[in-house]
Amino acid sequence: MPQVKIIAKNFMDMVASLPAIKLDKLYNNVFICEAILRSLPPLAKKYVLQMLYIDVPVPATMMEEWVLADGTSKHRVAIDRLIQLRIFSEISDRKRGTSYSLNPTFQNNLQKHIISGGVLPREPMNSDNAIKLPSLQELETYALKQWECFLLQLINSGQGEKLTGISSSMMKIFQRGLLSQRDKDGPRLTESGFQFLLMDTNAQLWYIIREYILNAEERDVDPADLISFLLELSFHVTGQAYNLNTLTEVQNNTLKDLADLGLVKLQQGRKDSWFIPTKLATNLSVSLADSSARKEGFVVMETNFRMYAYSTSKLQCEILRLFARIEYQLPNLIACAITKESLYNAFDNGITSDQIITFLQQNSHPRCADRVPSIPENVTDQIRLWETDLQRIEMTQAHFYDEFPSKDVFEAACDFAREWRGLLWEDSKRMRLVVKSEVHNQMREFLHTQSR
Amino acid sequence: MGNDERKRPTKKMKYGGKDDQKMKNIQNVEDYYDDADEDSRDGEGEEKRRDFTDLELKPDHGNRPLWACADGKIFLETFSPLYKQAYDFLIAIAEPVCRPESMHEYNLTPHSLYAAVSVGLETETIISVLNKLSKTKLPGEIIDFIHASTANYGKVKLVLKKNRYFIESPFPEVLKRLLSDDVINRARFTSEPYYGGDGFTIGKTSGELEAGPGELLNEAELAAAAEEKETHSFEIDPALVENVKQRCLPNALNYPMLEEYDFRNDNVNPDLDMELKPHAQPRPYQEKSLSKMFGNGRARSGIIVLPCGAGKSLVGVSAAARIKKSCLCLATNAVSVDQWAYQFKLWSTIKDDQICRFTSDSKERFRGNAGVVVTTYNMIAFGGKRSEEAEKIIEEMRNREWGLLLMDEVHVVPAHMFRKVISITKSHCKLGLTATLVREDEKITDLNFLIGPKLYEANWLDLVKGGFIANVQCAEVWCPMTKEFFAEYLKKENSKKKQALYVMNPNKFRACEFLIRFHEQQRGDKIIVFADNLFALTEYAMKLRKPMIYGATSHIERTKILEAFKTSKTVNTVFLSKVGDNSIDIPEANVIIQISSHAGSRRQEAQRLGRILRAKGKLEDRMAGGKEEYNAFFYSLVSTDTQEMYYSTKRQQFLIDQGYSFKVITSLPPPDAGSSLGYHSQEEQLSLLGKVLNAGDDMVGLEQLEEDTDGKALKTRRSMGSMSAMSGANGRVYMEYNSGRQKSGNQSKKPKDPTKRHNIFKKRYV
Repeated sequence: MPQVKIIAKNFMDMVASLPAIKLDKLYNNVFICEAILRSLPPLAKKYVLQMLYIDVPVPATMMEEWVLADGTSKHRVAIDRLIQLRIFSEISDRKRGTSYSLNPTFQNNLQKHIISGGVLPREPMNSDNAIKLPSLQELETYALKQWECFLLQLINSGQGEKLTGISSSMMKIFQRGLLSQRDKDGPRLTESGFQFLLMDTNAQLWYIIREYILNAEERDVDPADLISFLLELSFHVTGQAYNLNTLTEVQNNTLKDLADLGLVKLQQGRKDSWFIPTKLATNLSVSLADSSARKEGFVVMETNFRMYAYSTSKLQCEILRLFARIEYQLPNLIACAITKESLYNAFDNGITSDQIITFLQQNSHPRCADRVPSIPENVTDQIRLWETDLQRIEMTQAHFYDEFPSKDVFEAACDFAREWRGLLWEDSKRMRLVVKSEVHNQMREFLHTQSR
Repeated sequence: MGNDERKRPTKKMKYGGKDDQKMKNIQNVEDYYDDADEDSRDGEGEEKRRDFTDLELKPDHGNRPLWACADGKIFLETFSPLYKQAYDFLIAIAEPVCRPESMHEYNLTPHSLYAAVSVGLETETIISVLNKLSKTKLPGEIIDFIHASTANYGKVKLVLKKNRYFIESPFPEVLKRLLSDDVINRARFTSEPYYGGDGFTIGKTSGELEAGPGELLNEAELAAAAEEKETHSFEIDPALVENVKQRCLPNALNYPMLEEYDFRNDNVNPDLDMELKPHAQPRPYQEKSLSKMFGNGRARSGIIVLPCGAGKSLVGVSAAARIKKSCLCLATNAVSVDQWAYQFKLWSTIKDDQICRFTSDSKERFRGNAGVVVTTYNMIAFGGKRSEEAEKIIEEMRNREWGLLLMDEVHVVPAHMFRKVISITKSHCKLGLTATLVREDEKITDLNFLIGPKLYEANWLDLVKGGFIANVQCAEVWCPMTKEFFAEYLKKENSKKKQALYVMNPNKFRACEFLIRFHEQQRGDKIIVFADNLFALTEYAMKLRKPMIYGATSHIERTKILEAFKTSKTVNTVFLSKVGDNSIDIPEANVIIQISSHAGSRRQEAQRLGRILRAKGKLEDRMAGGKEEYNAFFYSLVSTDTQEMYYSTKRQQFLIDQGYSFKVITSLPPPDAGSSLGYHSQEEQLSLLGKVLNAGDDMVGLEQLEEDTDGKALKTRRSMGSMSAMSGANGRVYMEYNSGRQKSGNQSKKPKDPTKRHNIFKKRYV
């Protein structure tokens, strides 16, 4: 069995990295089986369906015959993926070679699911019930507002403002990477915090969810349960209300955290409390696996380093401010300029030129998105050049020595430093030298012995 | 919000003559006078945010092309369907700040509004058209600002009619206000019988004929604009015209007068029989600039701004052919004089004996009672003693009434020179031509009132897209200083040699040699290498065995070199000092390599680029998406970590504002070039260093050109270019102007074919 160390790039990678027992447990849930099936590469999907009603292992050699010669690499990827997720188990036999069989739990559940369909553990609220549901439009606005509000708070905390309205468990997640806590000035954005702000929404959502799952154990929550719940959530219907009393306590707490980010909207009815999943939640398994679905860009970058952003969002304005100088703010346009100073500021905060360029490319206005390149070449070049300009100087901690009693001592000291590979600079006329700090102690010792 | 931060672009209206003594020479001192002036955006320094988010968006804002801010800044979307109309309108009322591909920025200034008023736009028209185009409700500040700025401008006109000077205005109260001034009152012509009351003569002028923003106005407004207007006028003494004009300037009464020439009704001055030849068809933008000048059937004084190589001379000749009166044409030097005379003959039916040149070498006179004289500013403004013959010609010029005073390259001529020229020659209409009106310096103020407002300014990028001028790839080549050169550069005692050190940087030399070789051998291009520094010019040219031309090169030698450059297959590179910036016309060249330059002069950069802007090759290849994406190349070599980097950024600003982009190249020459290029070994480099250090400070400095008062020092002759190329309309292929934009729209969908790209510009980051 191949032991591949998996770096979780997306949700499904994360699922794949779970230990075997947990994975098997996950497959008890019909919805998870379906979600996993959906996330598979096309060829892998086909294999699963093809083998769904085959109860004996299929030899690898036979499977290889299913694909044309030029599909071999895709075939490899599909098989690897299926093994990673423990959907396939590999059976090696001296005589018959390698063969694969489907994970029985997974197979059973999927068979059942195909025949009878799945039933969620909870039913949506009846339409004649007491509370008034928000329209899909309203819900989307709500979700967007929550998400932006959260990001905006994150930015402001970079300027030393306190985060409000974020639960302590979420706070902990930010502190894991995005914020640093200093006693006096409150939380501040870290390097990865700044970088986080330049990511696209899916990547950001994934980052948060990943951190949320990874530190689940600190909150005494089983990561597998959490994953299972998150996947289940994505099978709920956007805009429908579900009763909170159908949830376990852990799930209840999780929902509260997710509400902070705008994944669900909580609503208090007369008797019961309800939660309404937003698009962010129902797309969770899809959007986390795939970042190709882009929203429309808004940035026009000109050859003269001026940048025009078609945006009314305060958040986007703040994000642009991370690396550009805002010059004019109009009702639906932000005019700014990328300058050496504004970029140096960004580099200081740990943002890299590649991140800025990627951000500009991903958000480029439809007018220039199909231009090649979408961001003028001279601008991208210059951004990189300014960055490399900063890296031309290398800092070395060093010590400066002077006032040597004699030329001999000076030269001996130079030789000594050279031997230790610590000599950085010498001026024999005035008898001064600079030595790397690493050898300072030895140097001092040496000079002591010399003066004696 | 926004109110407190609001800063109006106030520009002092100064009518200064302080530079009288210093600016004797057009070529040297006045050249690149803008070194010191600060770019308006540089000056802003720290972050100045302007928040106008509370402006109210109109519901159909998507269809409208611009935003106008309370501080006078205007943003224009170039992809709007209304772009063309909006551009024509904005260029008339505002100063362009930058015009790259998608979004233009403009500034409303008192000057620009003065120009707007003088091409016949009225306050209310400006406001209502601006409001129609704006995505938001117009901020109150802008409306107030337009009102305040246009309150006085354009209210008074000075009209030369049947050789009598009239002051004309549609507002009698303004005339009364003027007459309350002593000087003006005294100048009022006394022979006009006084009838009591105002006593103003009442006449009618026709409204604007030109469409202009008309298409944006509804019918009622249009009708109002076209309606005949009643004007009031009084006559003034021709001898006192200058005094009256002075009194009307902004520092006195602040009613600057517009000058218009009703040439059709001028039956005192003899007509000049001259027509444009049938093949001389102005291009759309040339037509447009002429329509601004002749908008109401009279000739307006003012300045037309077109990029080098876009055919300024045809505009000048067309203007002269329309006015059909004697014309005095002023150029900066004897070479241009020849070129202008040639242009007149090429484009118009003027007879050979009706056109004459007046330079130190050639003192011709035209026959008959009307004609064209081409001369230099210096010949007219010369204060010293002249030869008897020259004196006679000058006297004739003084006594003549010129229909048109045509002034080339107005940006290089100092104000005092204009004043002198204008006081010597009496003209009905003045037309200034230039390619690079570097803005916001005081000289613009002078030009505004001495010649007239800017009538039209073409957009460089639109001309490039239309294939009217060459599509130039600009590049800045970074050459790291060698260790030894940099050490010397940093030493205090070498402060006077700094320039020589960074120009002679061996890495720069090698990059230059590489580029020359690349373009000569692989593309078969013709190359000009520019160096302001004479020491470097000589060293480079000698080492590379290429011909060079500088101030002291004799006329015969110049002709020989240029002739060889043009015809010989072996001479493909020529080294030029700054004599080549303006005066030497080399239409064959399509590559420029700049190894040293005059500090931070934005104008020099633009002028040099202008040397290769003349469109080459077939039109269809030049158009966006054609066979060759770029057909001209402009390289500026800079030594990294030296002053040059700073200057270089500054120099490029003007071109960048026009939408050009400079690509930075860091890896020239390629590391494997080795000893195939000069100064490879350290010994060679050190001996070069020794040479630089041992040269006297005077040797390594800038070239000083001698004064050209009588056109004597600059003995360059026109290099006989191909006729069509020199006409400024190479190939004579014309096309509909608007197709340029549309084409580019389609084009943008088609990714650039990387194989079409120049080797050096292929990917650098792998």
